[in-house]
Amino acid sequence: MLTPAELVWLIAAVAKGDEAAFERLYAATRAKLYGVVLRILRRQDLAEEVIQETYVKIWNSAGQFNPGLSSPITWMASIARNRAIDVVRKRTESSIEEEPAAMEVAADSPDPLARREMTEELKRLLECVGRLEPDRQKLVLLAYYNGWSREQLAAKFETPVNTVKTWLRRSMMDIRECLGL
Amino acid sequence: MEYSEDHIAIAAEYALGTLDADERAQVETMMAVDAEFTAMVQSWEFRLGVLNQMVGSVEPRPELWERVRTAVGHSSQQAPLMLPEAPPSPQAQAYEPTAFDPIAPTGPIAPAVDNSNVIRLSSQARRWRGVASVMTALAAALVAMIGVQLFSPDLLPASLRPKPRTQVVEVKTPAPAAAPAAQYVALLQGAAGGPAFILTVDGASKNFTVRKVGAPPVEAGKSYELWLISDKLGGRPRSLGVIGGSDFTARTVLTSFDSDVINGGVYAVTVEQAGGSPDGAPHSTPVFAGKLIETVPAAR
Repeated sequence: MLTPAELVWLIAAVAKGDEAAFERLYAATRAKLYGVVLRILRRQDLAEEVIQETYVKIWNSAGQFNPGLSSPITWMASIARNRAIDVVRKRTESSIEEEPAAMEVAADSPDPLARREMTEELKRLLECVGRLEPDRQKLVLLAYYNGWSREQLAAKFETPVNTVKTWLRRSMMDIRECLGL
Repeated sequence: MEYSEDHIAIAAEYALGTLDADERAQVETMMAVDAEFTAMVQSWEFRLGVLNQMVGSVEPRPELWERVRTAVGHSSQQAPLMLPEAPPSPQAQAYEPTAFDPIAPTGPIAPAVDNSNVIRLSSQARRWRGVASVMTALAAALVAMIGVQLFSPDLLPASLRPKPRTQVVEVKTPAPAAAPAAQYVALLQGAAGGPAFILTVDGASKNFTVRKVGAPPVEAGKSYELWLISDKLGGRPRSLGVIGGSDFTARTVLTSFDSDVINGGVYAVTVEQAGGSPDGAPHSTPVFAGKLIETVPAAR
């Protein structure tokens, strides 16, 4: 992976229509974004489709990237993850238990989870998540990493959906307060 | 504009991803008409987005690039791009654990030795203690995937199967019970309080994996070696092997130990000569250590 500064430079070049920079950006970030969306979608075909749409959006909106607001990879991952969540929410509405086996199948590279050390921002966020009760820590992290709906979380925690709803809201407000937002 | 708590909560949950399709559409509509609300949603997305640092990369199929390129309307190969020299990321230096301070595995955290850095280290240690309290949940949220990939590679599509250098171990040991077994996690931490490795153990197969998180690279000519220390083993540390140079090591050595030894023991990492201790005994004090915590209880 390139450094954040190199990625910022590439995105700026992409914003000017530089196709070679776009290819370089894709090469540097595809595995990370694919890892993020595959965790949520758990299907190669859907994940590939989402990645394709993600890079089209990156190509079209590179000029809107503001390095003052987020790191390049966080910005790109947000686009990818949002798209993946949209897809999975529309699917789960028809049937949550559509693919029980697929629930177990996903992808984490055996390779570096955190090859590089956590950033200060991550440590700060984890510190705040760590202040939640243990069950709620898990709730928030499973929601984020696996893209689970409230219904799936309710099943996992053997708790009514409305309780999960309350917990999620409370947890996010607690995190907000902890972060000083 | 001052937003109500309902607005703030729905922005946060949008970023978290737990809204249903209708609510997501509602948020997107609000974003389309309200730039300030959009900024709030994005700020949540970016705050939470750092969590993706912990997600492993997965290489997509090479064909995907062709699809992407076609979709954005590019045609042929481009000349290779020369990148300017960029300054190193300041974030890369964010965490430098005082890794080689000896610690008592279950005792209090040893004081930092470098007095000039006491203030910096103690605030860092405080932060790490805060972070450490979430590591169990973090490991649990990430653990299911590792388990499947390592132990049931057949379940994965071809492109996701572990690369050859991952040690995939076939376990013949019969599981004690038919029900899904408990999962255990130990955070192996150093003197600075930061997690260096995450050890996960499957209760039934006794398979374990070691995942490198914050451990610094071991010095040249040395290896990290993992030990199990238990009163029930007469106090003599038993080697669980060298932790590989890759970030992920899977082994089955634990199968020769009883469950209560595995569950009650201390897991410690020492720095040994390259390839591990030659005589089966550790030659340094532990630099990282931790005990197992049950994260996924055994099914009824």
